[in-house]
Amino acid sequence: MNSIPAKNEFAFSGEIGGNIAENIWDSIKSGLILVDSEGKILLWNDWIAQHSGIPAESALNHFLGSLFPDGLAAPFKTALRNVLQHKLPIILSNALHRSPLPLYPLPVAYHKQDRMQQSVIFTPIVTSEKKRLCLIQVTDATLSIKRERVLKSHSERLNKVAITDALTGAYNRRFFDERFTAEFGRAQRQSIPLSLIMLDVDFFKDYNDRYGHPAGDKALISVVEALKSQLHRPTDVVTRYGGEEFAIILPDSGSEGGRIVAEKLRTAVSGLNIPHGTSSVADHLTISIGIVSYQPDTSCNATCFLEAADTALYRAKHDGRNCVRHLVAPECGKPCPVDTPQADSPD
Amino acid sequence: MNSLSELQLDALTEIFNIGAGRAASSLSEIVGDEVKLSVPCVQLYQSSEINADTLSLNSPRLGAVRQHFSGPFNADAMLLFTEERAMEIVHDMMASQVDIEDVAEYEQEAMCELGNIILNACLSSMADMLDLTLNSSLPVYFVGATNVVLRQIISETNQPLILVLHIDLSIEKRHLQGCLVFLLSSSSLQKLLAHIDRFISGI
Repeated sequence: MNSIPAKNEFAFSGEIGGNIAENIWDSIKSGLILVDSEGKILLWNDWIAQHSGIPAESALNHFLGSLFPDGLAAPFKTALRNVLQHKLPIILSNALHRSPLPLYPLPVAYHKQDRMQQSVIFTPIVTSEKKRLCLIQVTDATLSIKRERVLKSHSERLNKVAITDALTGAYNRRFFDERFTAEFGRAQRQSIPLSLIMLDVDFFKDYNDRYGHPAGDKALISVVEALKSQLHRPTDVVTRYGGEEFAIILPDSGSEGGRIVAEKLRTAVSGLNIPHGTSSVADHLTISIGIVSYQPDTSCNATCFLEAADTALYRAKHDGRNCVRHLVAPECGKPCPVDTPQADSPD
Repeated sequence: MNSLSELQLDALTEIFNIGAGRAASSLSEIVGDEVKLSVPCVQLYQSSEINADTLSLNSPRLGAVRQHFSGPFNADAMLLFTEERAMEIVHDMMASQVDIEDVAEYEQEAMCELGNIILNACLSSMADMLDLTLNSSLPVYFVGATNVVLRQIISETNQPLILVLHIDLSIEKRHLQGCLVFLLSSSSLQKLLAHIDRFISGI
């Protein structure tokens, strides 16, 4: 137990003897140090004794700076000097100072390597004899930092869940809507190319009917994996637009690049060779792809761009499925077909 | 009656620039680089005149560090700055100490410390120059939409007078403009001015 320094400066009401006050500060779960204007220690509570490994007997009436072999950190010394001189309270934030005092988690002997994270508050105290003292309160910031890390990782995980399609692991429609608005806006503002792919699994309803929904689910997962395997830029991501329909935004990709990617996607899914006995276009699972490319400096807006992608996909289906159809959207409401060879022949 | 003479404004500007110098050296110690802080001008307003324009704080959100101080006169001192720029500076300050990703919430505490340094420096230089003793509460930090923060200031009806210090702060490559405002009652202002006049006549 600490003993109150012989020249005790405190006064307590008759109800509370010095003894009780001592019990109180030794029960407090943060560090309390009181120093006089010379930096001599007048109070050193149990918490600080435990976490510094320095018992009160060795600390009291010694100078704070002399207790620690490495002395005190410069900001700590400045703060202490300023409090005593100007009598204004000061905080040393954990973010800017981390561990100003050599304090350690318990048991101290096992933790000599890692100092405790601290927040420190200096409060001026003037005694009835006009003596200037400084109360130093130290709190352990470790827990709050841990709590913050946990919250942060939770919120990262929830953010991920909120934009992910549970079945396929692709991004979901919510993600698509936000990303598409942002990317289209960027393409417009910066007059840069943008392509959008819409694709649909051919005769998927028949597949489900024939092989059952669990098989249908598995097929969708495989399709997404195949699509992902063909996309190498971090900005090109697969989103599940609905049911068996997927969308892929290709920022900075013009019609040429977009068409190459689309064809690779079609080939990759076909290459999975998932048997599909009720498909009218092949004996395995295939996809139809519509792709639309943005022409900078035209009046095309996000809505008509999206509609154009849909139109392109419709054409791909109309033209026999398992193929790619491409539109450029130069003016709103007037998407025009690109002059490309008709045949995207089924494998 | 509640206006300040040229001489009084000059004296206040001088006092606060000395404080700004002190704050700059404390900040330099933390950052390990040169910090420049100056108070180009001081103005007195009625709270009804206070808005984002008079304070030159045009940003959707403001951060504020507030300390209440008492002594021969009482006032609430608030440091106001645009949240975005202040965060940048705090990030820079922290970058020299810790890994950025560790700190999201600790920005607030760091912001509190930044404000505390600047407010204390201004208060202590005022106390020193005017030869008086001021006590202060611990700093409290809050951040909010600009109109909400400003409404808080204006709604202090018993402190209708507002002394505004425009502040320029440069840390490393960053530049931040902020405001230090003192919310005063009419009688506190008169007491402050009496001290200022005594200071001026003593020069």
